[in-house]
Amino acid sequence: MSLTTLPSGETVYDPRGVVDAVDRPLAPRRAELSGARVGILDNSKWNAGSLLRHTVALLEESAGPFGEVRFYKKASFSSNAAPELITEIAEHNDVVLTAIGD
Amino acid sequence: MVEWYAEQGWTDGLPVVAPTRDKVDAVVQALGGDPDASLMRVPPRWGVLTQEVLAVNMVMAGCLPFYAPVVRAALLALGEPTFNLNGVQATTHMAAPLLVVNGPVRNEIGLNSGAGVFGSGFRANATIGRAVRLVLLNVGGGRPGELDKSTLGNPSKYAFCIAENEENSPWAPYSVEQGFQPEDSTVFVIATEGPHSVTNHVADDAEGILDSIVSAMSTIAHNNAVTSGSCAVVIGPEHAATIGAHGWTRHDVRSYLWLHAGNTFEAVSFGHRYGTVYNRHLPRWYRRTPDERIPIVPSPDDIHLFVAGGTAGRFSAFLPGWGHMTSPVLRSLDDREAPDVLCVDGACQL
Repeated sequence: MSLTTLPSGETVYDPRGVVDAVDRPLAPRRAELSGARVGILDNSKWNAGSLLRHTVALLEESAGPFGEVRFYKKASFSSNAAPELITEIAEHNDVVLTAIGD
Repeated sequence: MVEWYAEQGWTDGLPVVAPTRDKVDAVVQALGGDPDASLMRVPPRWGVLTQEVLAVNMVMAGCLPFYAPVVRAALLALGEPTFNLNGVQATTHMAAPLLVVNGPVRNEIGLNSGAGVFGSGFRANATIGRAVRLVLLNVGGGRPGELDKSTLGNPSKYAFCIAENEENSPWAPYSVEQGFQPEDSTVFVIATEGPHSVTNHVADDAEGILDSIVSAMSTIAHNNAVTSGSCAVVIGPEHAATIGAHGWTRHDVRSYLWLHAGNTFEAVSFGHRYGTVYNRHLPRWYRRTPDERIPIVPSPDDIHLFVAGGTAGRFSAFLPGWGHMTSPVLRSLDDREAPDVLCVDGACQL
């Protein structure tokens, strides 16, 4: 029901609809990145690859060395990564770096 | 109450009609009852759109109850995964969903397909378009600067709903071209920019008029130039009468536009002045040599052609699309099946 009662006692309609989701906490933050297997997911925007590679290089200078760095790319910046790609990334990496934007 | 809704941020900036029980119930009845029936989730917020929530937004928009089947069909079409509503809602581009209605429902509910078709003045066009926008805003969370990242926005984000002028077209309606019967009522949704006017008061043949439309299409400024996809062309009745009088069919028109509209690869790639990465999203079968013509869209079928507007005035319009990231959807008003989307824990697969 989208009816809701205000503190004043007035009943109003909420036009937003509910978002039914189970509360999921964030995964625990990794204590350090040294030795980690790092995945990079390129969203296929024009400069994503350059930006992400440069970012990982800077990260490794300050928080590395990393155990391994693997590169992945989505088929389209405007869709989810394919389920098989996500499974593969999860299997082979400890942390993943990605980005959204133009 | 009107002020209260504005204070919550649940409006498009214009005053809304305060939803009351009797008004909401009337719209729910027009939807067939069952207020708690879930139609879809609306991205990117993934709020659940029930028939009651839809009715609330329709009342706020100022809709009459018998507009309900059109609004519902439009939203179900937008919810099809191929449309990628999440992307259209969130993009930095200015594209917004255009609704084009075909069939008997146009006249039954007073939808304008004639003079001023893209403008204001007709309750059905204005409030159906607005109801869709309010759902995208409230249920989908598409608030400007928040989840709606459009840099410039677009007046179409108030309302963007037209009907095809089937009565003044030399051709069968768009819906019939796509396989529906003339007696079917349909809604077509496509993400586009606003209409780019095409003036031609000179040509008395098909090619001359279409060359003007080709000219409007052949620019590197729109998203089709760099991300391909689909677009819309709306031909005004005077232009359509001239083109039709010379025996040109819909297929002829779309094919001519597709064949002759385009940009050179040199133009699209800025002569590689900024590196060679900018051509990545064009189809791989486009040659990447300087003088090569890069089509605006991959095929004539990606040009969606309509006749609309008044019977006086030699104007047409080109509406560039958002790109390959979205595909338009055509849906019958009788099709009430929910979009087939995998949703887990409140969010849905794109």
